[in-house]
Amino acid sequence: MIKQISTIALVAIAAIAFTGCSGEKKATEVKTYKYSTTEVYEKSCSKCHGLNGEGNVEKKTPALNDRTAGEMAQDLFDVKNGGTNQSSGTDHEIMEHNMQKLVDKGFDYDINSMAEYMSKLSKK
Amino acid sequence: MKKNEILEEILNEVEKHPEIMSRREALKYLSVSPMAASILAGATIGASSVSASSAKGKIVIVGGGLAGMSTAARLNNTLSNADITVIEPDPTSVSYQPGQTLVGAGLWDAADITYNRDDFLPSGVKLIKGSVTAFNPDSNSVTVDGSQEVTYDHMIIATGLMLNYAAIKGLDGVITSSGTDNASVKKTVGKDGVHSIYFRDGSTATWEGIQELVAKAKAHKGPEKLQAVFTHPNTPIKCGGAPKKIMYLVNSRLEEAGVRDKVELTLYPNGGKMFGVPEYHEAILQQYKDRGFKWHYAHNLVEIDTKGKVATFNHHWTEKGAWDEDLEEYGVELKSELVEVPYDFIHITPPMKAPDVVANSDVGSDKGWVPVTKETMRHVKYENVWCLGDVAAVPMGKTGGSVRKQYKVVVDNLVASMEGKSLPSKYGGYTVCPLITSIGTVMLAEFDWSKKPTPSFPLDPTKERWIWWLLKVYALKPMTIHGMLSGRA
Ligand SMILES: Cc1cc2nc3c(=O)[nH]c(=O)nc-3n(C[C@H](O)[C@H](O)[C@H](O)COP(=O)(O)OP(=O)(O)OC[C@H]3O[C@@H](n4cnc5c(N)ncnc54)[C@H](O)[C@@H]3O)c2cc1C
Ligand code: HEC
Repeated sequence: MIKQISTIALVAIAAIAFTGCSGEKKATEVKTYKYSTTEVYEKSCSKCHGLNGEGNVEKKTPALNDRTAGEMAQDLFDVKNGGTNQSSGTDHEIMEHNMQKLVDKGFDYDINSMAEYMSKLSKK
Repeated sequence: MKKNEILEEILNEVEKHPEIMSRREALKYLSVSPMAASILAGATIGASSVSASSAKGKIVIVGGGLAGMSTAARLNNTLSNADITVIEPDPTSVSYQPGQTLVGAGLWDAADITYNRDDFLPSGVKLIKGSVTAFNPDSNSVTVDGSQEVTYDHMIIATGLMLNYAAIKGLDGVITSSGTDNASVKKTVGKDGVHSIYFRDGSTATWEGIQELVAKAKAHKGPEKLQAVFTHPNTPIKCGGAPKKIMYLVNSRLEEAGVRDKVELTLYPNGGKMFGVPEYHEAILQQYKDRGFKWHYAHNLVEIDTKGKVATFNHHWTEKGAWDEDLEEYGVELKSELVEVPYDFIHITPPMKAPDVVANSDVGSDKGWVPVTKETMRHVKYENVWCLGDVAAVPMGKTGGSVRKQYKVVVDNLVASMEGKSLPSKYGGYTVCPLITSIGTVMLAEFDWSKKPTPSFPLDPTKERWIWWLLKVYALKPMTIHGMLSGRA
């Protein structure tokens, strides 16, 4: 083991521990979407969740107009990623399936923009 | 934070394992290398030191754990007229929780990770030794221990989360990791093969449990293997890697004792993958295969019979459902069944939740966690309320590594808002999980909301490396205890 020690290793350790990891350097990818957020909502989400995000008892869909944009962004992240944690999974397995299908059909969207849009639905 | 203090801490850690590296050797490399020395020096000045501000206002910080106390220190360094109050009931709130994994595996003692709140209270910062029992954000105040009213101009919520053992039938108690008020949990956890490194006393007991398992394996005859079971719940958890780290370490201890072939190691996670980042997921799968581990996805621990040594999981899956007109696709149906799993040793990662006092108040949300705009860490409804650490509703966070990014964002943004300026700082979701894969190796999984690896070094981030073990075991604790808690690293 001792032979493995090199100055480089320890410098690397010191560097990460003390100067902070450069997690922020990421290249900002610009993603383009087929439809605008409004189009995605009106053409797709609204069919099940209602045009005003009021939910639909028969279709067993929850209301989506009852929370702030910040909360909605978290829920969208959860559904789109199959959970927000490493192996915890999600309580939204049905919508996780739906979302994958919808994204495949081109109904992809930016999470923050969709959250913003939904938070204004009830006020329309 | 003095350069020598950090060096001394690292050397103290190194000394405990002379078989890996001698103190003389470490000292030689740390002091001989001009680069290492300059980095250390840089850290003491603080590469991220904040510019001074004379903004005024009364700041109340609820919770003085890693996030709360580090934020207090950094604000105290920044504000020339600081008026900061920390509210924290636990005398050992600033203890080093990530070290519980190493205590559980018998590499450290509880004394190595226990630190006193009062030693880390920055000078000039006021401390209220109590618990917030009500949040009244509309009148800018909180209630402490049911009686004392404390008002603020700005509040920072840093209460961390609760380990909800009681949610599992057969167990009891809702506790914090560092607190000592855990008798209810210890009625069933920490003995008879039921273990949990998530609270400090539990981590000490885990090491005893591993030694018992090793002894049992040595005496074990016959073709049937002993069963070691590892759980991962259906809630967000702090340090998402810890349920696996303890599994890898048990594996190491069994190998070391020459009895690995006597024990089956199986992970039962509620989710359907090993890690949210595909690259790390694949790497972990390979590590599991290489070690002969088993895993069963979509199993959530719901009940445990500690006398009969049987764990009951809710196993859930989806089946192809009817054609869905709205989706223009087949839908799915949810299915589930209860599965009974006998064990000789079980490591429980409990479900976790926000403290009830937070969840049920106006600052909480339907899921409990405090809703913040995840980039600015400001509360979504109250402009003078901020939140960070484990209690914040931020995807993939809940590690000390993410706190280390968040607390700088909170300080920058709070100070700017006190000065009436726009918010300058943004959190990008950075998290780091040093995934211990054996005694001596770590995979340093760094990532952010892009769900892509964000390595800090030009090294393949999916590889297990000995140098990350050194980082985890020797450098991260002093960086946290001396760097973060003084607001500088
Ligand atoms: C086993 C284990 C392994 C881990 N491994 C790692 C790792 O490898 N890397 C990593 O980065 N992180 C790791 N972590 C996670 C890390 O410890 C936490 O993310 C970090 O401590 C979060 O800081 P916090 O201040 O939000 O919460 P805490 O440090 O838990 O502090 C919260 C404080 O708030 C106080 N509080 C609660 N309610 C109230 C109230 N009503 N009024 C006043 N005060 C209150 C509590 O007493 C507590 O002291 C690990 C944690 C555990 C348990
Ligand atoms: C085919 C019907 C259908 C369509 C189309 C649909 N949903 Fe859903 N959605 C559901 C159902 C059913 C649930 C509840 C079950 C679940 O959560 O898994 C749900 C749940 C959700 C949830 C979780 C709610 C919560 O309380 O956290 C979110 C978020 C969501 N949908 C967003 C969307 C968005 C955004 C779209 C459009 C891109 C959309 N849905 C389109 C059926 C649909």
